[in-house]
Amino acid sequence: MSVYLTSTGAFLPNEPVSNDRVETVLGAIHDRPSRLRRRVLKSNGITTRHYALDESQATTHQNEDMAVAAAKQCLERSPLEANDVGMLSVATSQGDMVLPGFGSMVQGGLGIPSVELHTAHGICSSSMMALKAAFNNIRVGDQQTALVVSSELTSRLLKRSRYEAVAAEPGTIGFDFNSEFLRWMLSDGAGALLLQDRPGRGLSLRIDWMCSFSHADSLPVCMGAGRAKGEDSPLSWQDYSTLGEAEADGAMLLRQDVRLLEHIVKLGVDGFLRLIDEGRLVVDDIDHFLCHYSSHHFKGKIADMLTAAGCMIPERKWFTNLYTKGNTGCAAMFIMLDEFIETMSIQPGARIFCHVPESGRFNTTYMHLTAVEVSK
Amino acid sequence: MTAPDSTLDHPGLTPLAQQTLRRLMRVWFDFERRLSRVPILKRLDTGTFTIDDFRCLLRNLRPQVVEGARWITRCASSFDRDHAHMRSMVIGHAMDEHRDYEMLEHDYVAAGGQYEEIQKAERNIGTEALHAFLMSQATQPNPVDMLGAMFIIEGLGDKMANNWADRIEELTKCSPDATRFIRYHGENDASHMEKFYTMLGDAASTEESAAAIVRTAKVVARLYALQLEEVDNV
Repeated sequence: MSVYLTSTGAFLPNEPVSNDRVETVLGAIHDRPSRLRRRVLKSNGITTRHYALDESQATTHQNEDMAVAAAKQCLERSPLEANDVGMLSVATSQGDMVLPGFGSMVQGGLGIPSVELHTAHGICSSSMMALKAAFNNIRVGDQQTALVVSSELTSRLLKRSRYEAVAAEPGTIGFDFNSEFLRWMLSDGAGALLLQDRPGRGLSLRIDWMCSFSHADSLPVCMGAGRAKGEDSPLSWQDYSTLGEAEADGAMLLRQDVRLLEHIVKLGVDGFLRLIDEGRLVVDDIDHFLCHYSSHHFKGKIADMLTAAGCMIPERKWFTNLYTKGNTGCAAMFIMLDEFIETMSIQPGARIFCHVPESGRFNTTYMHLTAVEVSK
Repeated sequence: MTAPDSTLDHPGLTPLAQQTLRRLMRVWFDFERRLSRVPILKRLDTGTFTIDDFRCLLRNLRPQVVEGARWITRCASSFDRDHAHMRSMVIGHAMDEHRDYEMLEHDYVAAGGQYEEIQKAERNIGTEALHAFLMSQATQPNPVDMLGAMFIIEGLGDKMANNWADRIEELTKCSPDATRFIRYHGENDASHMEKFYTMLGDAASTEESAAAIVRTAKVVARLYALQLEEVDNV
């Protein structure tokens, strides 16, 4: 059974926030402007992003509200109704509640009855896991329609009070580069895709294949939260007597081990070469390349390595909206696909290659699509 | 292949050489993942690497560095006149590196070790296997597959300098005088990689020779990792 992506939706909360207003929204930690700001922003190339916070760091939208808003837009653009959806497959790094699964909350918000539910948990690549589950479910004939939603509200972890809650010796700040880094990288948003067992009217994208390669067996945690200075810390945030103690110890901060980050470029390219070797990817046939790189800095690194391997996809074929929509983690690829389909003129027969690398503990995911058109 | 910046300009590779390079890069990436799982190197990633680990690493690298000069010169002598171009390159390479171990011994002492101790260091069982394989391949007539060995070993020099040297200094607080060997390799191996691309065009001339290059790279990668897994197991 072939599977088609027939509609998309996206939701980005509040007005775009420019670089000079990031600290106005997230708050200046201990009222001191960051010293990292310029350096990290210059490297990632992001100029605007969205936060579901106001300037007093109060949350303006719940994560599930954003997921529901993106899903509703996706359904509104389709002739199908919520009641037609057989499967709801959802991804996020962090739901509003610890339990139950985020998918249950999104279903509640959408009001879809008796749906088959799936929640994927992880970081950037979790949306691709949710998508693959839906793709397979239609492929085997269990469902005819699946709604896939990914949503992120990381700014709640990045607001000033989170950093100020870390206990520090007098005269020190209590957190390091690795825990402040992501403050300048991540932002909020949601995306949704509708999958069907037949093409929709107008242009649809057929999913030809999806695959992923995870390398957690070889490498330590590169991005995470829940242990005070990384995975070797003896205590998980749940082991402290109170959550207050966990926060004071820095166990709740979102950290990126910047030193390990270069592995993600190599592993992403390794998967690329593997797909070429296996004959699944023919670089010259690709018309559009959608790559979720987290920072402009990595675009150059990926391009250099693909060039070295003689399999570079020409730069004019690359598409991203990282620079204006920000790095929205697992929601990024869906938000990117939404803008790609809404704004680009895609020819029937066009081949589209998508890549989502996740630095969490190094998972690399790939998807191949072909544009098909059914006359109206 | 750890530093893509230094490996960009190699125009004019034939399609077969380009395909061979892609396969070699995959062997390299797999090798890097395997190295990340080796306990002594995993401690570099997790930040628990000690000065004892550093001395252990140097002690276990030395026998292979000493023997390295031997298999490279053996390799040079196995090329006939039809491969004179490759022979010249290999001879030049051997000249560059045949006394590297003296620098390594100096570093060992700078890291707090005894000179006599490192001079007595025996091959561990992984080094034994690595050395035997390299000598055996280098003895074959026109061993173009040794280019695969060069790719792994030179790539590792690059990785040592770019990924290990600063990290070792940071974690062990040793003086920069103790990391001269691993740094030197990074600086020089970039130019060695340039020579590599020139040679790859000549060496990967048939499907068979291309396959042999990739296979030798795989075996060397596995045995090199074995050498590091078996530190001090003599």
